[in-house]
Amino acid sequence: MNELNLSQPRWGNYFLQHGTELFEFWSEYLAKGDRRILFVMGRGFDPRMCLGISRLFQLDGITAADVRVIQFDEGATSPSVKFSDHVAENMRRLEDTTYGKALTTVSEIPMWSYDARRRIGSNEARKLFGSVADLGDATDVIVDVSSLPRSIYIPLVAKLLYLLDDAKTAAGIATKNLHVWVSENPDIDAKITDEEIDEQAEFMDGFRGGLDMEAHRSKPTIWIPFLGEGQKTQLERINNLLQPDEICPVLPSPSRDPRRGDNLILEYREFLFDTLTVDPRNFIYAAERNPFEVYRQVRRTILHYHEALKSLHGCKTGISAQSTKLMSLGALLVAYELKSLQVGIAHVEADGYNVAAGVYDPEIVDSNDIFGLWLFGECYET
Amino acid sequence: MKESRNPFRLRASENIESDSTFVRFFSAGVLEALPPSSPWEGVRFLRSAEGGGKTSLLRLMTPGVLHSLISQGERDDCKDLHRKMTELGALGLGAPQVLGVLLSFGRNYASLEDLDLDPVRKERLFYSLLNARIVLATLRSATILKKIRYPEGLESIDIQLPPHVPLLKDLPERFSGRDLYKWAVKLEENICSALDSFGPANIDGVGGSEDISSLSLISPTSITMDGKPIARHTLLMLDDLQKLTRRQREKLTTALIEARSSVGVWISERLEALSEDEVLSSGAKSGRDHVGVIALESYWRHNSHQFLKFVSDIADRRARESADDIDSFNSHLPSNLSQPEWTERYAEASAKIRLRVLEDIRDHASEKPYATNLFGSWLAEAEEFAGTARDVAIRWRSLEILVQREKSRNQLSLFDEPISVEDLRVAIPVEEFNKKNDSPVKASAELFLAHEFGFPYYFGEKMVARLASANVEQFLGLAGDMFEEMISAIVRGKNADLSPLRQQQLLSNAADELWNDIPRRMHAGNEVRSFLEAIGRFSHWMTYKPTAPNDIGVNGIAISMHERDVLLQRAGRWTESYRPLLRVLTNAIAHNLLEPQLDYNVKNGKWLVLNLNRLLCIRFRLPLHRGKFKEKSLEEIIGWLDDGFQPPKTTGALL
Repeated sequence: MNELNLSQPRWGNYFLQHGTELFEFWSEYLAKGDRRILFVMGRGFDPRMCLGISRLFQLDGITAADVRVIQFDEGATSPSVKFSDHVAENMRRLEDTTYGKALTTVSEIPMWSYDARRRIGSNEARKLFGSVADLGDATDVIVDVSSLPRSIYIPLVAKLLYLLDDAKTAAGIATKNLHVWVSENPDIDAKITDEEIDEQAEFMDGFRGGLDMEAHRSKPTIWIPFLGEGQKTQLERINNLLQPDEICPVLPSPSRDPRRGDNLILEYREFLFDTLTVDPRNFIYAAERNPFEVYRQVRRTILHYHEALKSLHGCKTGISAQSTKLMSLGALLVAYELKSLQVGIAHVEADGYNVAAGVYDPEIVDSNDIFGLWLFGECYET
Repeated sequence: MKESRNPFRLRASENIESDSTFVRFFSAGVLEALPPSSPWEGVRFLRSAEGGGKTSLLRLMTPGVLHSLISQGERDDCKDLHRKMTELGALGLGAPQVLGVLLSFGRNYASLEDLDLDPVRKERLFYSLLNARIVLATLRSATILKKIRYPEGLESIDIQLPPHVPLLKDLPERFSGRDLYKWAVKLEENICSALDSFGPANIDGVGGSEDISSLSLISPTSITMDGKPIARHTLLMLDDLQKLTRRQREKLTTALIEARSSVGVWISERLEALSEDEVLSSGAKSGRDHVGVIALESYWRHNSHQFLKFVSDIADRRARESADDIDSFNSHLPSNLSQPEWTERYAEASAKIRLRVLEDIRDHASEKPYATNLFGSWLAEAEEFAGTARDVAIRWRSLEILVQREKSRNQLSLFDEPISVEDLRVAIPVEEFNKKNDSPVKASAELFLAHEFGFPYYFGEKMVARLASANVEQFLGLAGDMFEEMISAIVRGKNADLSPLRQQQLLSNAADELWNDIPRRMHAGNEVRSFLEAIGRFSHWMTYKPTAPNDIGVNGIAISMHERDVLLQRAGRWTESYRPLLRVLTNAIAHNLLEPQLDYNVKNGKWLVLNLNRLLCIRFRLPLHRGKFKEKSLEEIIGWLDDGFQPPKTTGALL
């Protein structure tokens, strides 16, 4: 694990590319040397599932690649079951893409305990890779989170970071690179909504950050909720879990739709101002399409509160990322780096999803923008 | 954070920051649900759906709130609560007499089950973590009770270790609260760090407890300050038991009961934590039973008058906390339709119904000429009836129902022969009409009128309380929407009174919101909503039959207790067709969407009655009265899961 340096953000300098530039970069990157790719992705109904891998496999430089498909079982009664045709279609597309180019293996993650009463998905995601050896001889691990739920990709990426940090501590140098890709498409995100939400919010496995410890109960709790559309029930349940003393909602700004922040305030005005009595000065504005900027803003806020509340032995911070996947990656980075400062991630899971009409329309699917974040490896070596 | 503009929006007790505000919001009525004697002894379970008021009741017993109650005890709005808490023994001699320790369960207890350890080791870790947390929560509460700093002030608190407590072998017989604090912090940190690590969970150095031995440490005689016990009673309040796994829950409750400790234990849990058998057994007795279970919603359903008083008091307390000039919530909810615009509309309705009745009687006479005079005296009486426009309209609508019933009886008589043709030649006397026109018929007439002519039906203080379905949070949601309108009116310089029509619109919106949210809010939500829709549509069909056969109508169904047992047995054996029904029923009951009533005696049998959540009745335009249901077979309602309710093709409208 890297030593925590409060004055120097771990991802103060970062690598982020999207769209054409991302694949121009990868074309050059692959051309430079012997790159062996481990591509980790989810098996799902999301039309974005194969966009990243198909673009990657169109590049000339791909010579050695393994594909690890994560299959997560949401249960026979999940509302998602009705999309099994789309899942099958995505898997056919994946097979076409990788045929003759990569070895594909499927890893199953059970989402429910044996008695079907308890979620274990995020804990199981932590177990997917037990050590660096499980990554094989890959020089670059790409995790495409486009068709993975938060409860899987957040602990999964964090675990990979942990393993790579650990290996670096032992070897003195980064031996592998970690990249995270996400196909961003607000139109599709708006059409896929959670169904049959869990009764209660919980901390994500690996990201409790000591928030639920009785020993720290007297410390003030800061809640940093990322606001996204249609999440009122989830926010209510996370509020019940955290019982915060101070709330700093994160609004997407700048964003592609300049009115998005205002619309979110309108959507949640009663909850934010009447139920939670949030002080309007507490809002945090962070770029919708730059998770490193989100990371920087949230990190600064957390450190500010720690400094201000030093006389009360500091504070605890709960982050909830009920927003776009891109922004949620910012939450992951800050919670990972500041975990020892009692920063955790609260979350509400759902049994499945409801997909509105139009999600699979070609014009909507084609408007995706693929973002690539390089989180660990050569580019951070000094 | 600042004070709320609309205090009704502060729903969960957790959102009310200050203890003094909490005390002013708290209505003492809920204390009636507690057992009248010895609330500080033994193990008691508080059960309800989400928002039933469990956590508020627990918070009331915490030291900060008790201190605040003492300091505000002379206020008019706190006197009653102060008196009742003194009677209960929580307060006395200007000081709290109970050390209330509130501890919420988090999910990391359940995560212990995911460790690759044998069950015995897992159990020992579970008890270790729980013991550490009980100790920490108790010490914290003790400092608040004694008004000393936490944790520094723990030096002045002494702990007398009871003999044979294996938990703290390495500590001396007497030690300070500070020593105990350090021990518990270390233990909790070790376990939590292991659970939350991305690396392998290292718990080798963590000891283990075999039972809940911390109860001995926190008993009134164990915790002293200046040589005296710090409180007369210790009350351990464990909140959110449903977060434990089923195995942990069962082990813990058994251990607590078997411990027979001098520490009182209150355990709160949502109904969803219960087994299917337990859920289908809820709604029994009076909401308070001999094994120490206090089922809040069930208690309120059996004490509906007290619930009305309780929520009415809550509403007025919240209204008074608002910055706006509204001292009483209920006084702004007109509960009658005496306004002139309604008088005119009632008159129009009466005229229309009168024509309908005349036509109906004429048609009947043309079919059965010998029965021409049958309704003559009833008709004459209705024409002469004097009363308010509303009374007149109800009179005409009642007449229409009774005419339909008589016609139906006449037709049946052709087969059953209870009435002779000679009887039909004579007009039915007015006395007979008055006898038949009882309250249920009038209530049906009022409901029919509202449905047919758009009169508001769901409005007024009592109606809002009934629509809460015995759930405080549901009440606050409804009242919060109404209060919002009241304060908006005041801002615009208008009267804060909400017209009956506006009340109904707001309540109807809330019903739609609840309905639309069902698939999102819970597991199997889509199935649950489909099933509720079948009950709602069936109830609507039964209610609005022209003869109003079930008096005021129905808002639920019932299955026999025998079939309930069959359902549990067969679903337990995973019989395919029974399993989904059991899942739907238990989910709906656990979320207060169906109100169960067990062992209801009717028709020489015992029934499990399942009434719709009252708020959902608005959606199907149903009455809110209790005990209105229709018996159904298990087979029939299993069919509703797939096909919903389909009215028979011959509706029997004019039978």
